[in-house]
Amino acid sequence: MRPFFAALAAAACLAFPTAEAADIEAGRVRAEPCMACHGTDGITADRSIPSLAGQKERYLQWQLVFFRSGRRQSEIMQPQAAELSDEELRNLGAFFASLPRISPPPGPAEPALHEMGKQAAARHRCASCHMDNYAGSQAAPAIAHQTREYTAKALEDYRKNARPSVGVAAMNEVAGGLSDDEITAIALYLESPE
Amino acid sequence: MSGTSLRKRGIALAALAAAGLALGAGPAAAQLKSYDSSKPSFWKNPPPDWFLGDETEGQKGLAPPVGPATPTPLAELQDNLKKIKLPPGFKIEVYASGIPEARQMAWGDNGTLFVGSFGAGSVYAVTDSGGKREVKTILKGLNMPTGVAFRDGALYVVAIDKLLRYDGAESKLGAMPEPTVVYDDMPPFVAHGWKYIVMDKEGAMYLPFGPPFNIGIPPTSLSQIRRVHPNGLAELVALGVRNSVGGDIDPRTGQYWFTENARDWVSDDMPSDKLNRIGRLGEHFGYPYCHQGDMPDPKFAMGHKCDEFTPPVLNLGAHVAPLGMKFYTGSMFPAEYRNTIFIAEHGSWNRHKYQGGRIVHVTVDPDGKNAKQEIFAEGWLTGAQEYSGRPADVVVAKDGALLVADDWAGAIYRISYSR
Repeated sequence: MRPFFAALAAAACLAFPTAEAADIEAGRVRAEPCMACHGTDGITADRSIPSLAGQKERYLQWQLVFFRSGRRQSEIMQPQAAELSDEELRNLGAFFASLPRISPPPGPAEPALHEMGKQAAARHRCASCHMDNYAGSQAAPAIAHQTREYTAKALEDYRKNARPSVGVAAMNEVAGGLSDDEITAIALYLESPE
Repeated sequence: MSGTSLRKRGIALAALAAAGLALGAGPAAAQLKSYDSSKPSFWKNPPPDWFLGDETEGQKGLAPPVGPATPTPLAELQDNLKKIKLPPGFKIEVYASGIPEARQMAWGDNGTLFVGSFGAGSVYAVTDSGGKREVKTILKGLNMPTGVAFRDGALYVVAIDKLLRYDGAESKLGAMPEPTVVYDDMPPFVAHGWKYIVMDKEGAMYLPFGPPFNIGIPPTSLSQIRRVHPNGLAELVALGVRNSVGGDIDPRTGQYWFTENARDWVSDDMPSDKLNRIGRLGEHFGYPYCHQGDMPDPKFAMGHKCDEFTPPVLNLGAHVAPLGMKFYTGSMFPAEYRNTIFIAEHGSWNRHKYQGGRIVHVTVDPDGKNAKQEIFAEGWLTGAQEYSGRPADVVVAKDGALLVADDWAGAIYRISYSR
């Protein structure tokens, strides 16, 4: 590279601070209003509300995009997300993804239903995208250690197309084939799949 | 279907309602996937995970990655482009950003750049007044409108099973007219149903029809390329084609050349994706019987030999995912680039160490002989399975620069040359 252009290139580097994919600290600040429901550590007390701690970053960001555009329906989340800029939304995803994932207190054990859920999850091949430990992958969210109440609602929402799939996922189609009993069993099983 | 960031929205729910049952009851333990795609029931009721295939233990967990939820911000794009390597004399810059899932590009007569998209369902117009570029979303809610073309003032958009024409589009960017359906004799499958449009000098449009799965015996209406006339008449011009999402007319001969994504789930290094040329009407390019010109399919060769089929002009590499391509017809680049080919490689997903995610340059004789490729622009692959961007299409600008659409970062880049 000729010196003049090298100098220009160096100037360009100074002009643009090194871009970060997302700013976790900015996300933490912006997340304050979220914590009332989702918990200060991203773990919720209300069992109908999902814990976000340690969830996959891209998944969280896509959900906010879906709420913002109305493709995922929620009376509470749609107005919250409507105000978010792309940057805020990226930072929020990065922040919640950075928190350690902790299992919420499990509901009462129901061994028979747990076994049914395990069978149903295998039958519908949940693990092929969400991985054998249901901790998720780049392309699919963690689904282990969410409350049974929330997981059941999520599956019902997918089944009735109240929320769209992310990326390659075909959750609407998968959930379209689930019975009420299967949803109940899978949701209980995934609360503690070990 | 290497590389395409599949989104399944839009496959008829009715067709999928039985999918859960079709998957069969297995033991509770995690099992390897396998699919019986040898029967019509497979594509009539495709399973939700149709893009997956018979996997080995070593291939478990390979799946198309999820792209960023929002377009990459300008500062980050500029940072990414610093890592792009080009031949001496070339430079790359951001042309436009904030274009979610940008796919095929087409120029309007008055300099508007029209851009299709994948799951975003939108068509965009990038206008340029004195170097200041503005991105407008001009169409929304279409079913994977990946392919766009422009002629005589009209914008053509292909959205899975509809080829639409918007008359007087360039002067109506603020409020697009209702479209005319030019052609809709197309299967509704979303799987490999996203298309690319190449218009020849008569205004006829080459459209690819991919099979609705990884590998199998497809319905007779698919796995082919058709040439659709502006009056809605169509002819079959090529058979035995898997997922093609790119092509161009050779300015030297008027013949149609196209890229093709080979089947997945054989291995990291087999089979190769291809560059093809249609030398005569109705040629068969081998799918599903034979891949890369010399590899009979392990399950679906059906007794065929590879020498029955038209071999590729060039094997581009396994899982590189060649999408949009163009013959270079500009005058900005050095003379040796004239009438050579640029291909946007979207990059792998069905491979442990991704490859592709770059622009390759192919020099080749008009009859397909003496083909050789070299890497032209690379650096969007940032880890074994990580991208900062994924090239999806290229187009030559009026000034001879090469524009690159990136559907991962939601941006368009400009590659220019000065000695």
